[in-house]
Amino acid sequence: MMDDIDAMFSNLLGEMDLLTQSLGVETLPPESSSSTSKEVNFTMGFADMNVESLNELEENDFDALMADLMADLSATENKLVAELEEQKDAKVANPDLPAPPRELSSYVVPSLSTTTSPDTGLNTTYTPLADSHIPSFSPPQPPQHEKPSMEDVEAQIKSDKIKLALEKLKEAKVKKLVVKVVMNDGSSKTLMVDERQTVRDVLDNLFEKTHCDCNVDWSLSETNPELQLERGFEDHENLVDPLSAWTRDSENKVLFQERTEKYEVFKNPQNFYLWKKDKKTLKDMKDRDKELLVEENFCGPSIIVPDLEGVLYLREDNKKSWKPRLFLLRASGIYYVPKGKSKTRDLVCFVQFDNVNVYYGKEYKNKYKAPTDFCFVLKHPQIQKESQYIKYLCCDDSWMMTLWVTGIRIAKYGKSLYENYKTSMAKAQLTSAWNNRSTTTTSTPSTSSTITNAKASGKANGYAPQPPEEPVANIGIEPPPPPPLPPAQILPPHPTVKRSPSPNATTKKLPSLPTKYPPSQATIFNLPAPPLSQDDISFLPPPPDSDFPLPPPPPDPAFCPVTNRVPKPAPPPRQLYMGADVPAPPPPPPPSFTPTSSVIKTAPLPPKRTTPMQAAPPGGGDFMSELARAMAKKRANQ
Amino acid sequence: MAVWDLSVTLEDLGAEAPPITVSVTSDLHIGGVILKLVEKSQVRRDWSDHALWWEQKQQWLLRPSWTLEKCGIHADARLIFMPQHKALKLGLPNGLTIRVRACFSGSVFRTVLGICKMLNIRRPEELSLLRPVEEKKKKKDKDLSEEVYDLTDVPLTSVSRPCLYNGMPAHFADSPKTEKVYKMLSVPQPAPAPEAIAKLYRPASIVDKAHIHSRCTHTHTHTHTISTFTSLCSCLLSFLLTHITLATPLRWLDSSRSLMQQGVQENDRLWLRFKYYCFHDMEPKYDAVRLTQLYEQARWAILLEDIDCTEEEMMLFGGLQYHINKLSLSEPQAMTSTPAMDDLDSALQCLEVKLDVGGSSPQDLLDNLTAPELNDYLKIFRPKRLTLKGYKQYWFKFKDDSISYYKSKEESLGEPIQQINLKGCEVAPDVNVAGQKFCIRLLIPAPEGMNEVYLRCENEEQYSRWMAACRLASKGKSLADTSFQSEIQSIRSFLAMQQTNPSTNSSQTDDNINTHSLVSPRYSKKYKTKQLAPKILDAYQNVAQLSLTDALLRFLQIWQALPDFGLSFVVVRFKGSRKDEVLGIAPNRLIRIDLGVGDVVKTWRYNNMRQWNVNWDIRQVAIEFDGNVNIAFCCVTADCKIVHEFIGGYIFMSTRSREQSDTLNEELFHKLTGGHEAL
Repeated sequence: MMDDIDAMFSNLLGEMDLLTQSLGVETLPPESSSSTSKEVNFTMGFADMNVESLNELEENDFDALMADLMADLSATENKLVAELEEQKDAKVANPDLPAPPRELSSYVVPSLSTTTSPDTGLNTTYTPLADSHIPSFSPPQPPQHEKPSMEDVEAQIKSDKIKLALEKLKEAKVKKLVVKVVMNDGSSKTLMVDERQTVRDVLDNLFEKTHCDCNVDWSLSETNPELQLERGFEDHENLVDPLSAWTRDSENKVLFQERTEKYEVFKNPQNFYLWKKDKKTLKDMKDRDKELLVEENFCGPSIIVPDLEGVLYLREDNKKSWKPRLFLLRASGIYYVPKGKSKTRDLVCFVQFDNVNVYYGKEYKNKYKAPTDFCFVLKHPQIQKESQYIKYLCCDDSWMMTLWVTGIRIAKYGKSLYENYKTSMAKAQLTSAWNNRSTTTTSTPSTSSTITNAKASGKANGYAPQPPEEPVANIGIEPPPPPPLPPAQILPPHPTVKRSPSPNATTKKLPSLPTKYPPSQATIFNLPAPPLSQDDISFLPPPPDSDFPLPPPPPDPAFCPVTNRVPKPAPPPRQLYMGADVPAPPPPPPPSFTPTSSVIKTAPLPPKRTTPMQAAPPGGGDFMSELARAMAKKRANQ
Repeated sequence: MAVWDLSVTLEDLGAEAPPITVSVTSDLHIGGVILKLVEKSQVRRDWSDHALWWEQKQQWLLRPSWTLEKCGIHADARLIFMPQHKALKLGLPNGLTIRVRACFSGSVFRTVLGICKMLNIRRPEELSLLRPVEEKKKKKDKDLSEEVYDLTDVPLTSVSRPCLYNGMPAHFADSPKTEKVYKMLSVPQPAPAPEAIAKLYRPASIVDKAHIHSRCTHTHTHTHTISTFTSLCSCLLSFLLTHITLATPLRWLDSSRSLMQQGVQENDRLWLRFKYYCFHDMEPKYDAVRLTQLYEQARWAILLEDIDCTEEEMMLFGGLQYHINKLSLSEPQAMTSTPAMDDLDSALQCLEVKLDVGGSSPQDLLDNLTAPELNDYLKIFRPKRLTLKGYKQYWFKFKDDSISYYKSKEESLGEPIQQINLKGCEVAPDVNVAGQKFCIRLLIPAPEGMNEVYLRCENEEQYSRWMAACRLASKGKSLADTSFQSEIQSIRSFLAMQQTNPSTNSSQTDDNINTHSLVSPRYSKKYKTKQLAPKILDAYQNVAQLSLTDALLRFLQIWQALPDFGLSFVVVRFKGSRKDEVLGIAPNRLIRIDLGVGDVVKTWRYNNMRQWNVNWDIRQVAIEFDGNVNIAFCCVTADCKIVHEFIGGYIFMSTRSREQSDTLNEELFHKLTGGHEAL
């Protein structure tokens, strides 16, 4: 069975080759280089799966992975299209033609939506696009006459090609990991994570896949069973970096869970900065005073670290004894006071934070005979096994442990911690605003039903809803990501709730959009292109900009089978939603993309997308449906 | 009405000249007196800056329309007619002295405003004037030889809105002389000689009673009844040894009264210092002087151990100072280029970055593809491995962020014996220049722990290159990084410092700074030069890429993150307590410190403060906080006006952030800090 699947993958890769080569034929020879790089890209992705071998993937993982791959594929196409456009633009290079990009792009999206459907021939996909170049631009010849010489143009094209090839080479270096994330209910999800993605990106991605409440406590953390360690990743960290330190046989896990201590220091700063005061004063702290404390310590020219000092037990090197010492926290590190020395002048540096991370130790009373179970550990992230270079500290109670760990995080990460919190807050507020809205409008199944229909008819688990998401990713490329808004701005009552945000709301949220794309129906199609043609950034590696998660954004249906394990072929749509652990079936688009994706939802896209799928004969001889059938078969066998 | 004689001394005529007597009536106003006086003196000149000073009452008669009767002046009054602006020697935070014309008649707050305007320091409310620490009489001769930058010629009227000309305020651009002064103000000073630090340090650390007495006799104003330290117990003295700042509040001038009223004479020496430790709205573009002087004040506070810091922090401060010294010596042009050009440059740079698609132009990519490498025979030693005893020679290749080694050069095309990735590793020097030992100690992280590896180089040259490469790689940078060459350079110069040759040590050339001048005497004594240099180099390489401004800001950031930052100490006696304690006044809180142990006993925050009162009769400060918390104390070492001014001042400073307008609310400041004079 597995062999089948493996074969399928190589098949898929070959298909991609074909696709890119066919493109190359149509436009320019060097595209072939891009196709190879593309291949490298994917093989790299698989080669790097030291976290989990492909064979160990469960079928739902497999689905998700397929979805990711498809997203990559379509993103590549999208990019190639954009590049084509660029080439054409270069040829035409007529400043008096502001319209072209818009007109052109209107062809791009449909072409995209069709490519991702399994049934459409890949080569034919581009015919409309290729045709469109000639009619939609004033034919290439006249502008060429205006141009000084053909040589210039060709030189230009040549240099562009070189640039493109180099970009591709660079892209090939991008490392990707397939990561299995354990959810708080014990189930797991598999994601493809790009080395440029931050934990924040991955969290956003997971929010969409799970439809959790998106509060600020959600975090990704790693566990190390061998050392009995746990650490919450910070939102600004790259996820791939710490995971690369895991050993091949590692039993470490990535968890997706709520951790109340993650941002507790911003919610109740008094508990950290005035920890010496009595409990009652701290509890009665006024909100205004809390804000002031955060402002004082995080908004000044330098970040102030809580002035922690107290006796902690230090585990002696490779001995079973724990020795009490007076430790102090300063911005520059942890210090201790040698016996009989003064606290102000004779501090000895215990550790500085540049090369270590702080971890919670679990059940060390048992493991290491610690005085209490409230231990924390400082070690280089690369160290995965018992070593003399790991520093173990033990606190009297859990509160002191939280204090120290948080204090160390403040000293180590400084302002980023606060920035992360603000981003999380904005996100949570936005989501709760959406949730409030969607609860009032749960009785509007129109959008969701189209999705389920698409799913049911296409039997495509995972990749079906991608086309509409794709533009989202592209919008994300526009330098400033849509500013998160206070609920007040999003909430104004809308009489019709079917299409969640009215165009007006959208224009408010995305100040840059209206000028370029008037909020009309046409907008929807124009969205992806302008940023591409105007912005060189689109030349960058395939799908995601660092702002946005790489894997295929969040098809609701794709997620269903994962938690649910609904038997594949054609599940009844209703059941799907009931089965899923989602309180309110979310007709509003995934929260992280709210501003932008709302635009897409309003679009008449879903019908467009479904059409080709329905048109395609299920079980037709092409590759994609073969894949689908194979998977169905596999499930049936189990 | 009766006519009577009023005698007035004209200061301009000299001290020996007899007073001029004018006949007046009690209803004659001050303006009239001045008119008569000027006529009678028969001196023709501009008298507009002159005013009458009433010596017995120690006050100015600044209202020309008030009559003599209203002022309470009778025939026995000794009046002096003198200019309101006089020369003042001003010690700057950077240790240099300027001569300026300062206002002797307005409140010190006003005087500081004027001085700062001329020096182009924004936010003058954060600064104030204080009396310098007394220096022993013997040193007087030496003081005379000290260079004084004279700014008295700068006409005060020309100092209006600071319009920049040639990168400096217009009034500095007038002559080469003033340009030099501006450069002195806006560029950090080179590191002082270690002996100089020790010299400055000594008088402050030996707080002997005689010394304090001498200060008392100097401050001969009647309101400043300064209690002597004779009553203080010995533990206080030991505390004083560690907290020099303790003594400083004595010396702050009262900001609501004039210089004349506080006994300051023409050509007296005062210090200009940042008094309130909250530096609002620092903008390096406009704050060249402010930033530099603040850095200088912070640097001296650290060098003189006014504020405690750990060894690691001191080395970082040392590294930053080294970097700042180097930059301010090498690129003085950067400071004087016109801001307009700066704008243009930065705009162009922005544009380039945008065009460059995040710095990945084809050229860059090509460069990356053909990354440079290092190839050499080196010796390796792994202390943990028993199979390799001592150093063994291999052919080493450094590429990207990894070291690979081969049996020989010829085999370097094949598979390496081992490849070591240096990302995230710790790099430390193990060098003895005299012994010609040039080793690099690497601690390489691995799942099992850290692996210790020593690389031994042949000579300084080779060592500098490999060390620089290791350092870059440990931070994830490749040899292609632009900082590689400068890294090599700095390693070389630090190696030179470790040369035990005394002749090179004494001649302090520009790139051979004595590391002892970068740390406080405490660490100077603790370490020899060759021990100190690697420590500072280690800290330096983390900041070596910063621009001058960024380095200054970083220095200030670390300073402000020190636990004791911003504390001014006063010895007080709390109501109901029988022993002296220390009150620490910080920008956001008051702390009570036990004198014996030095522990913080209690903290009160200003934002919980309901009100504070000063009983001027019994000189007691009473403060009420939320939750019915009341404290009251008398000041032992300073006047309660100083404590009152600090608290009021900090509350005033905290109101600034909320007020968007740039105008200084002088009235509010006076209300908060003025005390009974304000009423």
